[in-house]
Amino acid sequence: MRNRCKQMLIKLSRLRLFTSLTLSLISCYSMAATPTIEIKIQDHLFFPATIEIPANTKVKLLLINLDPTAEEFESYELNREKVISGHRKAVIFIGPLPPGEYPFFGEFYPKTAQGKVVVTAP
Amino acid sequence: MFLNSVVLILQEILEAALLISVLLAFTRLRDVGHRWIVAAIIIGCLGAFLYALNMAQISEWFDYVGQEVTNAFIQLSIMLLLSIFAARHLGRPDHQPSQGHNREFILCMLFIVSLALTREVSEIFIYIGGAITDPSNVQPTLIGAGIGAGIGISAGVLIYYSLLGLPSKWIALTGLLLLSLVAGNMASQATLLLTQADWLPYSRILWDSSELLPENSVLGHLLYALIGYEATPSLYQGLGYVIGMLLILIGTKFTVWLNNAAPKS
Amino acid sequence: MRSIRVFLVASILAALTLFNFVAALQGYKSSLHEAEKLFDDQLLHTAKLIAKLPLDQDTDSLNHLSNFEYQVWHNNQLVSASSNTKNTIITDLFPGFGDANFNGYRWRTLVYYDPKNENWVIAAERSDLRFALAENVVIKAVLPIVLGIPMIGLLIWLIVSRGLKPLNDLSQQLKDKQVHDLTPIETPALKRELEQVVHSINALIGRVGGALEREKRFTTDAAHELRTPISALKIQLHNLRDELAVDSEPFLQLQSGVDRMQHLVEQLLSLYRSSPSEFSNLFNRINLYMLAQDVIADQHDVFENKHQNLSLEGTDCFILGDSFTLSTLLQNLLSNANKYTPEGGNVLVSIEETDSQVCLKVEDSGPGIAPEDYNKVFERFQRLSNNPEVAAVQGCGLGLTIVSHIAELHHANISISASRFDSGTAFTVLFNKAFKTDAQPMQTDVN
Repeated sequence: MRNRCKQMLIKLSRLRLFTSLTLSLISCYSMAATPTIEIKIQDHLFFPATIEIPANTKVKLLLINLDPTAEEFESYELNREKVISGHRKAVIFIGPLPPGEYPFFGEFYPKTAQGKVVVTAP
Repeated sequence: MFLNSVVLILQEILEAALLISVLLAFTRLRDVGHRWIVAAIIIGCLGAFLYALNMAQISEWFDYVGQEVTNAFIQLSIMLLLSIFAARHLGRPDHQPSQGHNREFILCMLFIVSLALTREVSEIFIYIGGAITDPSNVQPTLIGAGIGAGIGISAGVLIYYSLLGLPSKWIALTGLLLLSLVAGNMASQATLLLTQADWLPYSRILWDSSELLPENSVLGHLLYALIGYEATPSLYQGLGYVIGMLLILIGTKFTVWLNNAAPKS
Repeated sequence: MRSIRVFLVASILAALTLFNFVAALQGYKSSLHEAEKLFDDQLLHTAKLIAKLPLDQDTDSLNHLSNFEYQVWHNNQLVSASSNTKNTIITDLFPGFGDANFNGYRWRTLVYYDPKNENWVIAAERSDLRFALAENVVIKAVLPIVLGIPMIGLLIWLIVSRGLKPLNDLSQQLKDKQVHDLTPIETPALKRELEQVVHSINALIGRVGGALEREKRFTTDAAHELRTPISALKIQLHNLRDELAVDSEPFLQLQSGVDRMQHLVEQLLSLYRSSPSEFSNLFNRINLYMLAQDVIADQHDVFENKHQNLSLEGTDCFILGDSFTLSTLLQNLLSNANKYTPEGGNVLVSIEETDSQVCLKVEDSGPGIAPEDYNKVFERFQRLSNNPEVAAVQGCGLGLTIVSHIAELHHANISISASRFDSGTAFTVLFNKAFKTDAQPMQTDVN
């Protein structure tokens, strides 16, 4: 089972390489330049609850769930949705975005887990 | 909790219901029996259970974007399967199918529905499993799930009977159009997931209709689930949608053309 | 749409559920909105109340409320506050409602400016609690709609079933109708939608019945009318033979031709004489073995003429039936065997019994029938049994038609297989066994 998973992963990595190669021809595509922002989830709250990112930049959000329960990062404005299991990490890429405020919330505890991405003009 | 639960479950169920009702209508047209759907639902739910159970692990693949990549992979597989299915089985309405052909027809649909249900129902399992960790959420979540599932299944039943109520020559054509929308929707969702995982680069927004018809409205949710409506779709999503639709339509058209071109024996 | 009932129940229930649930959602949304407004109004009242209170007054009475906090600011100085609030300002001093995060919760806030004292009152209420309270109330209103759906489904099922009952009754009546039963369908209190259907069916039954009756009368009349001239013909042939003392080949052929014609007419008459209704009371307990002995004794000459070896094996077996028609059945099977078996061949009649059945078997050593043609022979049976005219032309066809007709009258099952000889056919007729208790003539439903 584990072996098969590994094989699949290798295959998928190849696929990824392939798509990356193809797409790098179409657009200026680079991974190294992507800034990473860490958001912790603790007691059904986002820390920090407000993150600031520059406009027109792609950003990698690294969500670290410190709670034992799962949480779902959800934002209609950012068009993003992702489940983060308890005691797990997850990555979401957002942007490049025009300046403005983009609220997000935790779908499973929406009354407490609230936050927003503030995109500021450079 | 209630409204979120309704929305999520409605979306997943409605997506599945549209696919299933169209395929069931084709089953009725072919008169090959409806038993396969029971098998597909059982397999799909089992698959969904296993998928949801291992989601935490799967999520950490490929630098923590395994969830998106796997889902996108499933969506694209369904789209390809649908286009193969359409090309092999829906292109020849006058064709008298053989026994083996019928078996392939059923197997194809069984596979498509099981795969689609695996992803869709796993989202429901994960959602309900996560939401009811807070005891105060249990009642609203479950009632919401009931309402969402009720609306989704009802819509599926009505679509099925409306399709069968059409004049017979229109049934296949309308079913085909609906299938192409499903395939387009799958492709569009896959591109969105791949963008979220940074496997696809950002592409510009095609239009913004969030003022006109917000995604967060009842109609917006319904249209999202049925035809993959997005208030701010990206260029790749649009492209994915068009390619998905064309794969189905061209595939069938092509077989019709091939069939007409082939010498009649 | 294979079933009207499933279609009606599923589509009505789906439409009801769809609109009910969407309405419930809409109701949920607007109720929550109203509740929010109500809570906001309450918050405003509280803020105004706080503004009117003398600042030095002890406001402890408000402090025990965990879901409510307030601050009163005067010239950027905090002059009064609930005990849980920090000294930092909760929210910006813009009059109106807003949301803020503090103390690890999300709060609904109201900033109220009291121009008389120049005080800014900030009142805040826990959003999650307010929402939970409102949602709880609204969910309680939505719940019956969800729980009602199974009940509505059951009700729709019952109503639709009731509505379709006349249709079900009609189809049951048609299903129960026997093949030979040509009486019109009777439905008390006919539903308007079904009137035309029943009228049409009855008219059709009437026409079919008339046609069958005419055909039967024609055949029996014709056969009956032919009887006298044929008898006269036979007598005249007999006289002619005595007078002329001829024994030439053409004369013998003429004689056998007349014999065949007489036989045919008798067959035609017996086919229609044994109609089910006349038959129901005639069943007796019959020893099939004895009956076979009698028939074989009668037919012995015919077999002797072709030097065929006709034998009978078996023991006494009892069935319920009519001896005259059963004799005809065996006679026909034997004459069939006689006809198709070459000179010097074998014909074997066997009678066996199992626990519940008696098996009459007539086997010959003729050319036989290929297994793949067995069904065709049966098909011809069926077809011929409805077409005596065609059968008459084909010679043997009528004999087998009568055999199958008689078997049917006795609820017996007839089948063809290969005989035990090197070649040839076996006709097997399976009767229900008569038990001792059946000794009395039984009132059987012969249909």
